[in-house]
Amino acid sequence: MSEPDDPRWLDDVAGELRREVPVRPAWRARLLDDVARAPKPSVRDIADDVFGDDEPALDRGRRRWSITVAPLTGLAAASLLVALGAGVMYVAMSSRAGADESQRAAHDGPSAASPQLVSRTPTATDREVVRFELSAPRASHVALVGSFNEWNPVATPLSRDPASGKWVVSLRLPPGRHVYAFVVDGDVTADPSAPRAADDDFGSPNSVVLVASPRT
Amino acid sequence: MGVTQPDVPGFNLATMTDAMLVRRVLDGDTAAFTTLVDRHAAACTRFATRMLGNREDAEDATQETFLRAYRSIARYEERQTFRTWLFQILINRCRTAAVRRQRRHRMFLVDDTAIAAASVRPAVDAGDLRAELKRAIDALDPDQREAFLLKHVEQLSYDEMAAATGVGVSALKMRVKRACDRMQWMLREGEASDVGT
Repeated sequence: MSEPDDPRWLDDVAGELRREVPVRPAWRARLLDDVARAPKPSVRDIADDVFGDDEPALDRGRRRWSITVAPLTGLAAASLLVALGAGVMYVAMSSRAGADESQRAAHDGPSAASPQLVSRTPTATDREVVRFELSAPRASHVALVGSFNEWNPVATPLSRDPASGKWVVSLRLPPGRHVYAFVVDGDVTADPSAPRAADDDFGSPNSVVLVASPRT
Repeated sequence: MGVTQPDVPGFNLATMTDAMLVRRVLDGDTAAFTTLVDRHAAACTRFATRMLGNREDAEDATQETFLRAYRSIARYEERQTFRTWLFQILINRCRTAAVRRQRRHRMFLVDDTAIAAASVRPAVDAGDLRAELKRAIDALDPDQREAFLLKHVEQLSYDEMAAATGVGVSALKMRVKRACDRMQWMLREGEASDVGT
């Protein structure tokens, strides 16, 4: 290790501290045993104790908050809640309509790169048709997963285009940045023709498609 | 006639991203959580060990972290990485463990002889840099140690650190700088005392 006055000392210190602390097999087995005995989680489970009620107060200011409404403003607050509720219902219905549309994949002619913006025509839901394609001649099943389908590997299968031999699917996506990947015969793989996501999670790297707002 | 499901092959969990594994866990696939444990347990155990200074407390904190994460996995939101979310839980478990340990020490270390014995610097071989380093990291204030480890050992970005700790970015930068200054001073002092002996 270099001397404390050497500018490299921090790299050396960090390198030493990064040494792996091996996971003991007995500890792992005990943990997995506890997990197996725990109730299976589901999207309906929203437990409140994730960070623990017995945690110390240190640095917790940002996590929990509350709103106090004075009694005299109750009527006004109720009116506001009714208005907000109507707005939320409208957004939810629009979103549902868009999701239904996104599942109706349109299969157009072959394209040079994936993903490709097929249509710039504004729709009722302000979504754009984006065509994804992958050349995987030996694959027997290809699916698309991403932030737009909650990474569900059965939600968006690709079809083989008889003309080009490529696997294709087109989706209507809202404007913005979407992270995605292909699942080729069970293996997750990034799109070779698209930019990689900078914030790669563990596992295979993801790709990114940017969908611009429709022209008005 | 019902819709026919496509013939989907088995998934290779090892190639799935964390977000996909979370989705599989929510669909009832416990093996997907095992993959998440295998990906993150080593880093969590390392952080907890460096933070708490001993293996037993670190394993307890990490075990509790994964169990809480499993029970509450529906709360995970994809806007942050699973690792950052997991560290958010782990950091709180480590803080709690440290407070519990402080209470234990207050209860049992009451006589002057015991306190004096506990505060004596452990014998360190001149060449044992790991022991020097452990002494230096243990001597940091807990909030500085936490920030230093997250930044320089676990290599989180300041934004990820802020999300995981609930502390602002500028405060975290200050903590990391103070931790570096103190570590450097401690290591230099250690060298000086080794030369003097």
